[in-house]
Amino acid sequence: MLNKLSESILDKFSMDFLRNQVLKNAYGNDDTLIAVRDPRVLLLWYLFFGLVPWFVNDIVFLLGCFVLVMITTLLARVAGLVLFLFALGVFSQTGYLLIVTLLFGGDASAILPLLVLTLKVTTVSLASVTVFSGLDPDRLSNGLMWYGCPERLSFSISYAYRMLPMLMEEFQNVLLSYRLRGNPPAHDSIPGKIRYLIYQVKVIVHSFYPLMLNTAKRSRTTVEALEIKGYRYAASSKEVRRMKLASLKISYDDLIFAAVSFLWVAVTMLLSSIL
Amino acid sequence: MASIKIENLSYTYPGADRPVLDHVDLEIMPGDFLAIVGNNGCGKSTLCKVLNGLIPHFISGDFQGRVLIDGQDTRQADVGVLARKVGYVYQDFENQIVRPTVLDDASYACLNYGMADYQARGRQALAQCGLQNRENEYIWQLSGGQTHLLALAGAVALGPDILILDEPIAQLDPGHADRIYGVLRELNEKYNKTILVIEHHTEYIADYCKHVLLLRDGRAAWYLPVRQALSRVEELQASNIFPPQVTLAAHALQAKGLLPAGGELPTTIGEGQQAFRSIPRPEYHRPCPPPARQPGQTVAEFQDVSVSYRSVKGEPHTVFHNLNLTLHKGENIALIGSNGAGKSTLMKLLVGLLRPTGGEILLGGQSLKEQKPEQIARKISLVYQNPEEMFIKDSIRDDIAYAMQVRQVENWQTRTEELLARFRLTDLADRDGRLLSGGQMRRASLAIGIALNPSLLLLDEPTANLDIATRKEILRTLNDMKAVTETVMIATHDMQLVCEWADRVVVLCGGSVVGDGTRDAVFGDRALTERVGIRPPEIFAMGRAVCEEALCYTVPEFVQLFGEGKRNAE
Repeated sequence: MLNKLSESILDKFSMDFLRNQVLKNAYGNDDTLIAVRDPRVLLLWYLFFGLVPWFVNDIVFLLGCFVLVMITTLLARVAGLVLFLFALGVFSQTGYLLIVTLLFGGDASAILPLLVLTLKVTTVSLASVTVFSGLDPDRLSNGLMWYGCPERLSFSISYAYRMLPMLMEEFQNVLLSYRLRGNPPAHDSIPGKIRYLIYQVKVIVHSFYPLMLNTAKRSRTTVEALEIKGYRYAASSKEVRRMKLASLKISYDDLIFAAVSFLWVAVTMLLSSIL
Repeated sequence: MASIKIENLSYTYPGADRPVLDHVDLEIMPGDFLAIVGNNGCGKSTLCKVLNGLIPHFISGDFQGRVLIDGQDTRQADVGVLARKVGYVYQDFENQIVRPTVLDDASYACLNYGMADYQARGRQALAQCGLQNRENEYIWQLSGGQTHLLALAGAVALGPDILILDEPIAQLDPGHADRIYGVLRELNEKYNKTILVIEHHTEYIADYCKHVLLLRDGRAAWYLPVRQALSRVEELQASNIFPPQVTLAAHALQAKGLLPAGGELPTTIGEGQQAFRSIPRPEYHRPCPPPARQPGQTVAEFQDVSVSYRSVKGEPHTVFHNLNLTLHKGENIALIGSNGAGKSTLMKLLVGLLRPTGGEILLGGQSLKEQKPEQIARKISLVYQNPEEMFIKDSIRDDIAYAMQVRQVENWQTRTEELLARFRLTDLADRDGRLLSGGQMRRASLAIGIALNPSLLLLDEPTANLDIATRKEILRTLNDMKAVTETVMIATHDMQLVCEWADRVVVLCGGSVVGDGTRDAVFGDRALTERVGIRPPEIFAMGRAVCEEALCYTVPEFVQLFGEGKRNAE
């Protein structure tokens, strides 16, 4: 039974699944409330929720911010994998701190400050998740470009997303070759399981060489195509930059979004001063 | 004025000791639809890169002579200016696409060159290439044929008068290939574009092109109207180009004295009907079908298998619905169907890379679920469509040896050497597989595939992306392999391969098996071939056009059948 379960989890966690989640995260939710926001407004919003919580220790205010970013994360319909990684990251960090505190003579009084820390980390992370995975890469890079980031950076972001599925596909194919032709050690006993793990790690390391070569071979065409499509020419042209940014427009809804966030923060501040 | 004029052009790649192009002189008129043919490595792709200025602006090397595009010297214009005059679609076109959505990619070049109406231009190009309703789709939602059209649209958007395509239909089924050429014809006739294609499917050249240019050893051997060009059978074959089957058949009949000597040979089925009118009808007795062979032991079995894929957005995509299929020992099976019918999926299911969402797959009488991957690997082997993905080591000797070595197969060293010799790879044994030519890569991947002596060998498109000569060589290798393999299944679009190699043909369509039998049963069934969109080899259609009952699959069969007719009449 347990065997079956672990197999089905492993099955789910295939490269195919990862690739699907990456794509879903980047482009699957282009119609959510968060995805259609103007990236400049969202980046400003992020500047607030990504920085301010670090400097405030008021629990009510932090809780208020946390609830708000949780709502925005839900609105952005972030892919499950990202949320899972986020939860794993946050709780392993603070859980580890708690254990260390308890081991080295701390007592239950350490829980409260740790809770505050967890709340801060969670709020900031969720704000990042909202902005960076709620927005699709192109809108994000346009927003960054508006704030003066170089064109090359913003192109790299969207091109990385274009390449990532291809890289993962290549990687998957190489792993499949190992799976079809390799001879992994039996993994029924405990030492066998360890040997199996070492084998898997070895395979992943060995996969690197064919992966890089295959990708390099593919990118030759891409480099020439970019040259023909005038990528180098555009990087130095102000006019092109203006045209790219012309698609950014702040709508009423963006203002409402900013106003609601502002109101929410104001109310929590008010509450914290009353309580 | 000629739209392309090349004067005494010689070009040598940096570091090479021999020029790729050697004193080429050429003039191409506006509105031409030109096929460029020639042996592998004769300089076709180089010639195209010279035209769009990548050579000498982006790739250096020794460049002599002059290339004029629309009267402008390419050495004096930069790549950007030339891109607006010459559009280029690569053979590996999917790597040419750099943006995530369709409209974005089509208009990207226009945006980069600062054209204010870039979106309108992108839209117009998409419409010209038949992609008008897909503007907001993501590129991974497109099929192979549509991706090619998008790459074409990206080039068309800049409004060039000349379009160059490097082997546009190498990976496509006939339906998609027709669509690409239909679009090209429209661009040529309606929008007056000059079109240059590197192509070795001479059937398509006969149907669509106006002129043919033969390159030989870096020189332009000749430049002729299409029918005249394809009639030069011997010269073409010397350059490893195979004229349409109709032309070959006519050539053979001419040699037998059944067709008047000299003059142009037919190149299309329509022309063939005219030309073969004078030949007396053979008295055709359909050979009795060979007695149905007792099917051997069952090797693999699909029982009510259903499969669906997760998709990025929306409902999962169903590939198979209650598919049933049994493979027997000793069969040579061809698996056919249009792009996306599920041929690759079926093979991935058999090797356990994909799991069915419903139903059961048995391999060697045992359910796949109960077998470990390494157990499966002993019984079955899959050779991918793209041979590069088979190479995981840095030499093909290591690659062939790998599976045997890790399993401690007895005498694996000698067996590796045997395999290298059998596939004529001994001289290349220490090279990296990725750096070999297409045919060598394919042979190496076949050697890797049969290294473990699998009882079932699966080959995904073994002849895709090969020029005709290499294709013939692989076909020969496959026929040789019949001696050492038990059961082989090939997924393919290549109907000549199907007819010359397979003894059982399985047709996939709409998620299930719609046809299963001998080639006569499948290709003889017009309703079936039309429904599924498969096309028998041209010679088969030619034979039936002349004589409805005739079922001939190869040129020699055709020549024998219709050559006999004369003798009977005498």
